[in-house]
Amino acid sequence: MLKHSRLIGFIALLSLGISAWMAFYWAPVEHSMGIVQKIMYIHVPASWVTFFAFSVIFFCSIAYLWKREEKFDVVAASAAEIGIVFCALSIATGSIWGKPTWNTYWTWDARLTTTLILLLIYAGYLLLRYFIDESDRRARYAAILGIIGFPDIFLIHLSVKWWRTLHQPSTMFSTKPTSVIDTTFAVTLWVSVLSFTLLFLYILLKRIELEKKNRLFQYKVSHMHT
Amino acid sequence: MFSEIKAIVRKDMLLDMRSKENFISMLFFSLVILIIFNFALGSDTKIVTTVAPGIFWVTFLLAGIIGLEKSFLVEKENGCIEFLLLNPVDKGNIFLGKMAGNIIFSLWVQACVIPLFILFFGYHFHSEFLVFVIVTLLTILGFSALGTLLAGITTGLKFSGVILPLLLFPLLIPLLLASVKVTEGIFLQKSLEAYLDWLKLLLAFDLIFLVVSYLTFEFVMEH
Repeated sequence: MLKHSRLIGFIALLSLGISAWMAFYWAPVEHSMGIVQKIMYIHVPASWVTFFAFSVIFFCSIAYLWKREEKFDVVAASAAEIGIVFCALSIATGSIWGKPTWNTYWTWDARLTTTLILLLIYAGYLLLRYFIDESDRRARYAAILGIIGFPDIFLIHLSVKWWRTLHQPSTMFSTKPTSVIDTTFAVTLWVSVLSFTLLFLYILLKRIELEKKNRLFQYKVSHMHT
Repeated sequence: MFSEIKAIVRKDMLLDMRSKENFISMLFFSLVILIIFNFALGSDTKIVTTVAPGIFWVTFLLAGIIGLEKSFLVEKENGCIEFLLLNPVDKGNIFLGKMAGNIIFSLWVQACVIPLFILFFGYHFHSEFLVFVIVTLLTILGFSALGTLLAGITTGLKFSGVILPLLLFPLLIPLLLASVKVTEGIFLQKSLEAYLDWLKLLLAFDLIFLVVSYLTFEFVMEH
């Protein structure tokens, strides 16, 4: 798949262009929210990519502990870094959207809070990696954290939801007839989700390539004098 | 299986009974935090009553971290862990033994802190004291299950004092929320149905992390 990274990058760029065009020219301005609603075409895909990245970490962590192949650790480490960037992007865009809509930048709503805690958990994950020198031990410890963090997200979400909630339920998968969103909005959203996923894949492949080179370099440096 | 767990618990208890480091530091740390909170909140009893359950459990988390840090430090300091692993003991049993040790320390400390807390914050328990004991037990169990695993990971790392709470506290949020909510319900004398869901969540958290920590601990102790 690494060989095709250039192709994936090209398709990602193209589809990002298309979704930008769709968001600004094809999809109409939403009635009640106005132009602010356009930020949803970044916010929703960013949130999706966040969750996707963290699922990648979870499955790679299990695979690492099971198979003990370094490639799983490389993928998990790369996905964590990208996931955290998209997580921050999702919180930032949500915040910008929240100001005119809820009249506040920040509120302790269930999803917002869950996303923030998610950011903290995976910041801890990266810090743990940072504090341990490159080794099989680092890969093992990180994998354990990648595994326990994942089921916790559901418990955190549930508990925070009971605690308080303000965020509207997800509209994309809603089946309630009253809340189904207009087709143009939905199509634009899906296209932007797809292009963000491609973008994530492209960055992930590049990051994996970099990580591999970096590890090879470290290996060579440490064996130079022996 | 039980004899192995018992041996590890006995060793940890014996070590601490001689030095009393863990018990004394956890107890006085809890006491200081309770007093500091009382000063910070001022004398308005109404405010203090509403936030008391939160204070109680945050105090527990902060004091509990001290016990967790110590629990693997004694093993790694003199390379004792190597000898522990040389024994033909199942690694899951090492986890259970270590966890049981942490539970006992937390129970000791809570047994001293609860009366003081009641004294400072002026609560009166009626029949709900039993529920309060159950919540305390469940919270200590969940905290020790996840805490023992993470303490095993972080002990001996650079900045281990920072990284353990940094990893543990976000993961413990469902546990903290649930125990605060149940305690709040008990203090405000609500009916059991009002906080039964939280009690179930607490139980679910305990079960999930007891199993996951037990299974993954094997990979912490690998050499």
